[in-house]
Amino acid sequence: MKITEIGESVRIALSALRINLLRSVLTTSGVVVGVVLVVVMGWTIKGLDSVWERTIGIIGRDMLYIDKWNWSGGHNWKKLESRKDITLKQALLLAERMESADLTVPLARKWGGTVNYGSKQVLCGVQGTTHEYGTTPAGAASEGRWFNSIEDARAADVVVIGYGIARTLFPDGGSIGKILKVHGFPFRIIGVVEKRGFLFMDFIDNQVFIPLSSFQKAYGFFDRSFSVAIKAGSEQLLNIVRDEAVGHMREIRNVPPGREDDFSVNEMEAFDQQVSTIRTVIWIVGIGLTVLAFIVGSIGIMNIMFVSVTERTREIGIRKAIGARKRSILLQFLVESSTLCVIGALIAMPISQVIVAAARSILIGPLEQDWVSVVSPFIQIDLLLIAVGVSIVVGLLAGLIPARRASALDPVDALRFE
Amino acid sequence: MAEIIDIRHIAKIYEMGDEDVHALEDVTLTIKQNEYIAVMGPSGSGKSTLMNMLGCLDTPTSGTYLFKGENVSEMSDDDLAEIRNREIGFVFQTFNLLPRATSLHNVELPLVYSGIRSKERIARAEEALRQVGLSDRMDHKPNELSGGQRQRVAIARALVTHPSIILADEPTGNLDTKTGQDIMALFMDLWHAGNTVILVTHEEEVAQHANRIVRLRDGRIESDTVNEFTNSVP
Ligand SMILES: Nc1ncnc2c1ncn2[C@@H]1O[C@H](COP(=O)(O)OP(=O)(O)OP(=O)(O)O)[C@@H](O)[C@H]1O
Ligand SMILES: [Mg+2]
Repeated sequence: MKITEIGESVRIALSALRINLLRSVLTTSGVVVGVVLVVVMGWTIKGLDSVWERTIGIIGRDMLYIDKWNWSGGHNWKKLESRKDITLKQALLLAERMESADLTVPLARKWGGTVNYGSKQVLCGVQGTTHEYGTTPAGAASEGRWFNSIEDARAADVVVIGYGIARTLFPDGGSIGKILKVHGFPFRIIGVVEKRGFLFMDFIDNQVFIPLSSFQKAYGFFDRSFSVAIKAGSEQLLNIVRDEAVGHMREIRNVPPGREDDFSVNEMEAFDQQVSTIRTVIWIVGIGLTVLAFIVGSIGIMNIMFVSVTERTREIGIRKAIGARKRSILLQFLVESSTLCVIGALIAMPISQVIVAAARSILIGPLEQDWVSVVSPFIQIDLLLIAVGVSIVVGLLAGLIPARRASALDPVDALRFE
Repeated sequence: MAEIIDIRHIAKIYEMGDEDVHALEDVTLTIKQNEYIAVMGPSGSGKSTLMNMLGCLDTPTSGTYLFKGENVSEMSDDDLAEIRNREIGFVFQTFNLLPRATSLHNVELPLVYSGIRSKERIARAEEALRQVGLSDRMDHKPNELSGGQRQRVAIARALVTHPSIILADEPTGNLDTKTGQDIMALFMDLWHAGNTVILVTHEEEVAQHANRIVRLRDGRIESDTVNEFTNSVP
């Protein structure tokens, strides 16, 4: 291959594309869609990851939740249902016995509890817990404060509301001091918890917290399973703390040796799995659509290259007559088809940037005001470069058959072509 | 004078359905350096077929073709392309210029395929265009040139590689008489400058400028005569 021919090939490709500008641009649309998909998908996954990192960073990877239920899916619901409830006594006993953990806090939950403010009503999780929960990152208040040990002991009618509830009931703020009805009982709002959830984790923000003793007043303790939140203190301690908790719990609940636990230990990993499932789904759907777009795109490009070869049969004849070899003609058309694809990728770049910026400000902005800064407003350049590389390969593959046909033309026949 | 072309018992047969078309039959010809040959004959007699064969654009069905002693009939497509590039300058009746390229680029093109660097290419292309009197039309595209000028560009393109032989298939066929005469004068100049020229023509008057006239009929050489008048000119 003579080096001078490469320059000539690029020159021919660009001039051919310029002459059929509209046709060329339309032809690249498949590639444009493919590249946009890859880039937007990459951005989505990266955004998901950063948001998840932040969520987990607030809650802490060192949290364990002992519960009747298992948080991650795939478990036999019937079997979990048949487990005996964890009683308040058992929860308190565990809290008392735990030694290795930073904190052990008993919790009671009411899913779908009713909460009213004036004429507004929401269904949300109501959680009864202790003042200690307020010292974990999960209970960090952005406004006001958590309830204290005295309020705990006195079963005070105070409530700390989740970020989501605050936004729903008090869109203009000013919730502190207002009276909220929980299950019909009046509670005074003393704090708002920081935003912590995102996407499927947003249930965390749609909760209200009241002292365990007040929870008993409102809902009673019968026929209710408690759970225990345990803060290990660090991720390294998780194993030790888990072992200790499981040991105590088996003893407390009289699980004979050899039988499996009749309770679950839930960890942040359960959510990691959900995140990675979402990530995988995005990948599969994204890659699937991308491949489809590239296939459609490459068929279009192959077609247009056949048209181009036919249109330029005479030109091919002329080039061959003055000494172009098969390889030269092959190169010329391969350069042309891959240039088409690179142009597609270049068109895709601003489009995906616009989509990403719009998605960030239109979709995520209003929903997750406080967190939008976690999500990058820019597409990833490395992903774009990969997409450009893939486009070149697609262009070469799509151009191969037409280019071979061009290079195999007989010069005399080609020159005679009208 | 050294022999450039030596073809022996060349035949070219086209298969057209059941029928075979014998475009050339038993053609034997040698061409020496600095000859000026006019090929004549009625339409369909095989002139273009012969020119394509001589120009290595096409290969014979049978017979041998030695180009400067090398057996062309056994060469690969790429070797043939290389011979066309280095040794042969083609001028066609229909000019066959790239419509979207300037004169300069059209003339440069053979050098691109020889692997010559841009700077030298441009210098040589400019020189070739000067030789055909088109120094002032380098940046024009074919559709901005007259027929005669286009043919001059085509001739410059044929010259730019300093080929061993220039083949012209009815180069004046698409031109008016006056312009045709100018082009013929240009070929005379090239011959006088030492080039070897083979030219197909229908016009007896044009042929009389050549130093040798080969006449074809039904794919065979009918006569091959030295033209006394012009032989003494160079
Ligand atoms: N590709 C082809 N397939 C079939 N027959 C062909 C082909 N090319 C040429 N022929 C036939 O070969 C014969 C010689 O054709 P050629 O083009 O060499 O004639 P010519 O002498 O150049 O005629 P003209 O003066 O009209 O240009 C003709 O009968 C023609 O029909
Ligand atoms: Mg002819």
